Amino acid sequence: MLKMINKYLGRGEFSITVPPMDGALMPNELLEQTEELLIVDAPDCLAVMNDVPVVSSRSRVLEVDKGGKEVARFDAEISCIAGLPNGGLAVGLIDGRIALVNGPGNGKIIKPIKGATCPTAMYADSDDTLFVAHGSSTNNYIGWKKDLMEKNSSGSLWRVEIATGNQTKICGGLAFSYGIYYNGKTFIVAESWRSRLLRISLDGGKPPEEVLGHLPGYVSRMAPAQEDGIWLTAFAPRSQLVEFVLREKRYRKLMMKNIDSDFWLAPTLRCNKSHYESLQAGGVKQLGILKPWAPARSYGLIIRLDSDFRPVASLHSRADGSRHGITSCLEHHGRLLIAVKGDGMVASYPIDRIGKR
Amino acid sequence: MAVILQMKGMTKEYKGVPVLKNVDFDLEENEIHALVGENGAGKSTLTKILAGAITPTKGEIILDGKPIKINQPTDGVAHGIAMVFQETSLVPSLTVAQNLFLGKEKFFNRLRTIYIAAQQFLQSLNFSVNPSVTVARLGAAQKQMVEIARAVYYNARIIIFDEPTATLTPEEKHHFFALLNRLRKAGVTTIFITHVLEEALQSADRITVLRDGEIIVTDAASNFTRERIVQAMVGRFLEVELFNGPSKKRKRRKAGRMVLSVQNLSMQNIVRNNSFSIFAGQITGIFGLVGSGRTETAKIIAGVVKRDLVHGGEVKFEGRSVRFRVPNPAVENGIVYVTEDRKIEGFFETKSIAKNIYIGAITAGTTKRFFVNMSEMRKLGEYWTKTLDIKATDSNARVIELSGGNQQKLVIAKALAQRPKLIIFDEPTRGVDVGAIAEIHQIINRLADDGLPVVVISSYLPEIMHLSDRILVSRQGRIVEEFKADEATETMIMYAAVH
Repeated sequence: MLKMINKYLGRGEFSITVPPMDGALMPNELLEQTEELLIVDAPDCLAVMNDVPVVSSRSRVLEVDKGGKEVARFDAEISCIAGLPNGGLAVGLIDGRIALVNGPGNGKIIKPIKGATCPTAMYADSDDTLFVAHGSSTNNYIGWKKDLMEKNSSGSLWRVEIATGNQTKICGGLAFSYGIYYNGKTFIVAESWRSRLLRISLDGGKPPEEVLGHLPGYVSRMAPAQEDGIWLTAFAPRSQLVEFVLREKRYRKLMMKNIDSDFWLAPTLRCNKSHYESLQAGGVKQLGILKPWAPARSYGLIIRLDSDFRPVASLHSRADGSRHGITSCLEHHGRLLIAVKGDGMVASYPIDRIGKR
Repeated sequence: MAVILQMKGMTKEYKGVPVLKNVDFDLEENEIHALVGENGAGKSTLTKILAGAITPTKGEIILDGKPIKINQPTDGVAHGIAMVFQETSLVPSLTVAQNLFLGKEKFFNRLRTIYIAAQQFLQSLNFSVNPSVTVARLGAAQKQMVEIARAVYYNARIIIFDEPTATLTPEEKHHFFALLNRLRKAGVTTIFITHVLEEALQSADRITVLRDGEIIVTDAASNFTRERIVQAMVGRFLEVELFNGPSKKRKRRKAGRMVLSVQNLSMQNIVRNNSFSIFAGQITGIFGLVGSGRTETAKIIAGVVKRDLVHGGEVKFEGRSVRFRVPNPAVENGIVYVTEDRKIEGFFETKSIAKNIYIGAITAGTTKRFFVNMSEMRKLGEYWTKTLDIKATDSNARVIELSGGNQQKLVIAKALAQRPKLIIFDEPTRGVDVGAIAEIHQIINRLADDGLPVVVISSYLPEIMHLSDRILVSRQGRIVEEFKADEATETMIMYAAVH
C-alpha cells in the first residue's frame, strides 16, 4: 500500500532525483585541458602490456604512444582487455570469448559459457587466474543501453582458470558490472545501473557490500592509483529525465520498439550528434553555444577515490565539453591515460596537476 | 543640548547577583543614543527599567528635572517612554491594524476605518506591511516594523529600540535609520541597543558602552572608532577584526564521508530543486540573502517543515532515504537544527537551563522516558553550563534571565545534549556580542574537529568565510555555487548570491 502511495507521489524509492555533483565532484574543466594522444575510433578499454599502454578500438588493440600501432586484430568487437603479469594480454570479445595474445598463451581462446557472454572488465590476478565481470546475461556489450532500459540486473562476476578454461561464478544479480579493482585484499566491482561500488567476498562467504553509492554518473572501469586509491570512470551522467523514463515501463517499451536506440531518452556516450536527438529545454543552444550546465545525456567524468573509497578529486568535461563518454583510464608513469570513447580519442593528463580536495 | 532624562545610581540584582551596578545614565533632548556592550553587560536591563518592564533594586529616574516612578510599562507610556522589545510583544491572532491600535480602541470599532488609518500610518513610515493580515502570518522583520510603528503611534517622546535591526534586511535597515532621523526632527529622542558597531558609529549622536553592569564610557559618536568601542566593550584587546584574525591562515579541514545528500528538494516556490551534499569532519557554510531558501531547506531536513507532497525530492542521511514529518524522529536519528529564532523556537524561557537541556535530551531519547530523573537533569544542566561556559547564577536560573549570548549557548547545549550526528546552525551568532561570537565559533570549530558534519547558515559574510571549510551559496531556493573556503572572496560569494 505504502509502495503504491509512494509511487503515485514520487517519493521514497520512487523519487526522481539525482545526486548532486559537489564536494570533490564539483565540476571543473580539467578534462578539457588533457592532451590528445591518439585520435581513434571508439577507444574503449586501456591496459598495460609489457609496460606498454594499449587501448582497444572496435576489433583492434593499439599501442597508445606510437601513433596507434596495431598490436592485435580480431574477428569480433573487443569489449575489454587486461594485461597479464607474464607480459601477455587477455582480450574479451563481445560474443563472450576471451582470447590471449602476446605471451605464453598467445592465441588461446576461452569459450563462453551460459550466463557469461558479456565481458566488460577483466583483472589478471596471476598468469593463471582472471577475474571477469559480465555486464548482462541477456545483452552483449554493445547493447548496454537496452540493458539499462530493460532495468536488468543479470550481471555477474567469474573466476576463469586460463590453463583449463574453467569458469566459476563468484556472484550474480549485478546491475551491469562494468569495472573491477583488486588490491590483494579488497575486491571491488562497479555496478553501473545502480551507480555504486560493491565489495565482493571472493569466497562467497559474505553478500556484496556497498562501499560507495549515490554517484551522479553511470560508473564504468576502475584503475589503481599510484598513491593508494582508485581512479573510477563514469561513462554518462544520471539525469532526472532519464530517471523518470526508467520509472515509466510502458513508455520505455514503446520507445525501444519504435525508435532507433541512438535517439532513445537514455544516457549516451556522446549526445548532440544529430538533430533527431531528443532535447531537454535547458539544453537549447544560443548562438551556436551550449551552456556548460545544460542537462546533457553525455558527460566526461573521472573520480579519484582514496583508499577508503571516498572521492577526493575529479576531472570533468561538462555539457559543452569535448571529452565525453569516458570508459576507462589508466595511470602510467606520472600521467593519466584516458579512453574518451564518446569523442574518439585517447587523452593524457599529468597526475601532479590534479589537486585533491 | 538639554538633558531630558537622568538615571542615577541605578542598580538591579537577581538573587543577590548584580546585573546593573550603580549606573548613572543621561539622555539629551532630540538625540539618537546607541547602547553597546557584550551580552550580559546590562543594556537590556537598563532600558527595561526605563520602560517599566523591570523594577530596579535601587536608583532614581529624573525626567525634565523631576523625579518619576516607573513601576510598570503603562507608567512609562504615560511619561512618553515606549520600548520596542527584541522579542515581539504583538498579539499573533490579531491583525496588524488591531495590534497597532490595541489599547486605544473606541467603544465601537469599525474594522474598515482601522485598516485605512493603519494603512496610511504605515505608509507614512515607509513600511510595506498589509494592515489586514494577522500578525502570526508576518515574518520577523515585518513584526519588528509593526512594533516600531506602534511605538511611534503612541506619540512617545523617548523611544527605546532593543536590537531593532537584527531581523531587518539592508533595505529595511536603511528605512529604519531614515525613520530615526525623521523622529529626531519631530522632537523624539531615541535609544537603540545594537551589536552592529557600524550602525552605532554611523547613526548615533552619542554612544554609551556598558560592561559587566557598569557604564564604561559615554561620548559623542564622532570621538569613537570601532577599535575603541570593542576595547571598551570587552576590556581587553580582543581580536579587533574578529573575522580577519589568524583563522585566515588556518588549515581548512578535509571532507570525510558523505553524511547527507539532498537531492532535488522542493517546497512550493521557496525551495526549488535544491541539491547538495554534506560531509563529515568539516564545516559547510551556507550563505544566502533573506528569502533564498536556506532556512527552509534546513527545516525540511530537520522535519520542521514538509517538502512538497508530490515529487518533493529526496534527503539521504547516512545512505538512507529519510522523510521526517515532525522534528522528533529527525532528532532521534541524529539530525539537530539550531534555530535562527531562539526566543520562539529555541527554548522555554520561563524554565530553567537544566530543564531546557533535559527536555532536549528526552526528545533525542538519550534519557530514560516516562520518569523525570531530577539528578540526571541537574547533572546535565551543570555539565553543559560548565562545558559551554554559560554565565548564570546556576543551572536552575531561568532562561529569561540570561543574556542573548548565553541564551544562544543554551540552545547549542540543548542541541549537543541530543548527541547529534549532523548539526545545522542557523544564524548562530545573531544578536550575540563579539565576545560570545568568538566563544560560539570555538564551539562550532570543536564539533567539526571532533569529526561531526556541521552546517552553518549565515547571512553575515565574514562569519561564513571565517568558519567554513566549504561554502555553498543559496539563491532563489537552491544552491547555485560552491567555493573552496581558501579561494572564495566576499565579492565572489555576494556575486553568486545576487546574480
